[in-house]
Amino acid sequence: MLDTIMKSKLFGWIDERTGAEAIIKSQLTEYEVPKNLNYMWNFGSLALLVLVLQILTGIFLAMYYKPSAALTMGGYTVAFDSVERIMRDVNFGWLIRYMHAVGASAFFVVVYMHIGRGLYYGSYKGPRELLWIIGVVILLIMQGAAFFGYLLPWGQMSFWGATVITNLFGALPVIGGFLQEVLRGGFAVGDPTLNRFFSLHYLFPLLLAAIVGGHVHALHVVHSNNPTGLDVHAGKSTIPFHPYYTIKDAFGVGVFLLFYCYVVFFNPQMGGYFIEVDNYVPANNLQTPPHIAPVWYLTPWYTILRSFESKLLGVVAMGASLAILFLLPFLDRSKVRSARYRPVYRQMVYLFFVTVIILGYCGHSAPTPTLKLIGQITTAYYFAFFLLLPFVHKFEKTKPLPEEI
Amino acid sequence: MSDTLDHTRRNFLYVAAGGMGAVAAGATIVPFIGSMLPAADTLAASKTEYDVSTVEAGQLVVIQWQGKPVFVVHRTEELLKQVDGHDEMLKDAYSEAIEEVSAEWMTPENRKYRAIKPEYLIVVASCTHLGCIPLFKPSAGRKEWGDSVPENWPGGWHCPCHGSLYDISARVINGSPAPHNLHLMPYTYLTDTKVMIG
Repeated sequence: MLDTIMKSKLFGWIDERTGAEAIIKSQLTEYEVPKNLNYMWNFGSLALLVLVLQILTGIFLAMYYKPSAALTMGGYTVAFDSVERIMRDVNFGWLIRYMHAVGASAFFVVVYMHIGRGLYYGSYKGPRELLWIIGVVILLIMQGAAFFGYLLPWGQMSFWGATVITNLFGALPVIGGFLQEVLRGGFAVGDPTLNRFFSLHYLFPLLLAAIVGGHVHALHVVHSNNPTGLDVHAGKSTIPFHPYYTIKDAFGVGVFLLFYCYVVFFNPQMGGYFIEVDNYVPANNLQTPPHIAPVWYLTPWYTILRSFESKLLGVVAMGASLAILFLLPFLDRSKVRSARYRPVYRQMVYLFFVTVIILGYCGHSAPTPTLKLIGQITTAYYFAFFLLLPFVHKFEKTKPLPEEI
Repeated sequence: MSDTLDHTRRNFLYVAAGGMGAVAAGATIVPFIGSMLPAADTLAASKTEYDVSTVEAGQLVVIQWQGKPVFVVHRTEELLKQVDGHDEMLKDAYSEAIEEVSAEWMTPENRKYRAIKPEYLIVVASCTHLGCIPLFKPSAGRKEWGDSVPENWPGGWHCPCHGSLYDISARVINGSPAPHNLHLMPYTYLTDTKVMIG
């Protein structure tokens, strides 16, 4: 198929002016990928798919969404009403909005799996340090985009979530107050906040698209890691990306869409996890809902924030828990990449996954003394995982590595 | 198992997989393009009620219907007389060029008035050339309008954008860039003076 196109006259004309053939060869048909990748390696292409879906659905939602906190005759606000209009009056508006809201959660599911894969198989280790760092930047921008987007329906959770998060920045010494005003554009979250969040919610995905380009480029320079973590040599242990991995990725897309469509069509709110119930109540700046928690994908960091009795310390710890991801490639000194051959690291990283899930659970629940203690213990382990890494290789007896994959 | 390639089988798989993919892509486009069509509340606002008795004799009022301007003219005896006598100047004196939405009341005798009640003309106010709102220049001749209208001006409308001319029944005059008479829209009289447009 591809080779018939590449033999055509039109393609030849384009190739002379762009070098398209060389690009296709180096990036697809002759791009060497380890032959032993398992299904954990599907999540990168899935993340790209969800990014495209989010941008596409977002563009269409923006045709009807109105970022204004002005009151309407019904007693609600323009923003809230415009979202309800999308749900009720706009053709297929319900579908496009649910695709977007579910897509946000799906994006994080896919990306967290992708990050977990990288952690387990040591994909962050040299020569892929920069690839990992670009990935962490992507994660931060995603979290920002999700946070900005969550304000837009202007429901109770939108409003109070934004109030809490902007207050977080206010807790920082010296620049805190300034930062808070810049984010809010007023003395409290209000109409100016909504307008700038909409603007930024449109900007961040564009940044994301550009940086994802950098991520893929960085990957194609250093090539994919693989489950054994061994360096691979072109030809013997690799196969070309196209057609082998395009087909495997396409299969993964099919499986992903089954789950995605199930949620979009049959359970779009996912029991309040994907769209929180309280967000169907219009924003009220005079009353906080009885229980307020961020959406599931931000709850682990929310628990870290809550685990400290000092406000500043909590904010700093939360920032540090994300910032430490940048240092991971330099903290881990082991020469072996994959957890398959690292018995101690393997236990540590499994425990880390469990820890993050527990942190997430704690952050989603109302605070109780028991949960607070559990949150503090898991927070301690979250940091311990990273801080132990420089020392693990000193006593870890790695298993013998195979000669070749 | 042989190593030779079964091309028929492979081509079938290509076409089958590609076909399914094309169908899926096409089906995905439907909701996205569909969402750009007018929403339910926009469609619901497609009717306008208006009381024509509020228009003084000889007066023109512009009202809105589906976000478009609509002329309501109360034609006096004098204005109604201006309908006759210049058929040869008109592109489409009997409004036959496009199928009228109001065929059921367009009887041969009131075709020239283009209205259910001849004294109240109700037409879409968008010039059929490129959509500007024509200026109302009802009196015949050049006395009031100078050379913006032709010498034998029967009275009607003059579009300021590209110079299209319409007579007092909103029929387009020869030499105008506009192809058609100003459009009629469906309307009914609910009472003697209340009109439901749309």
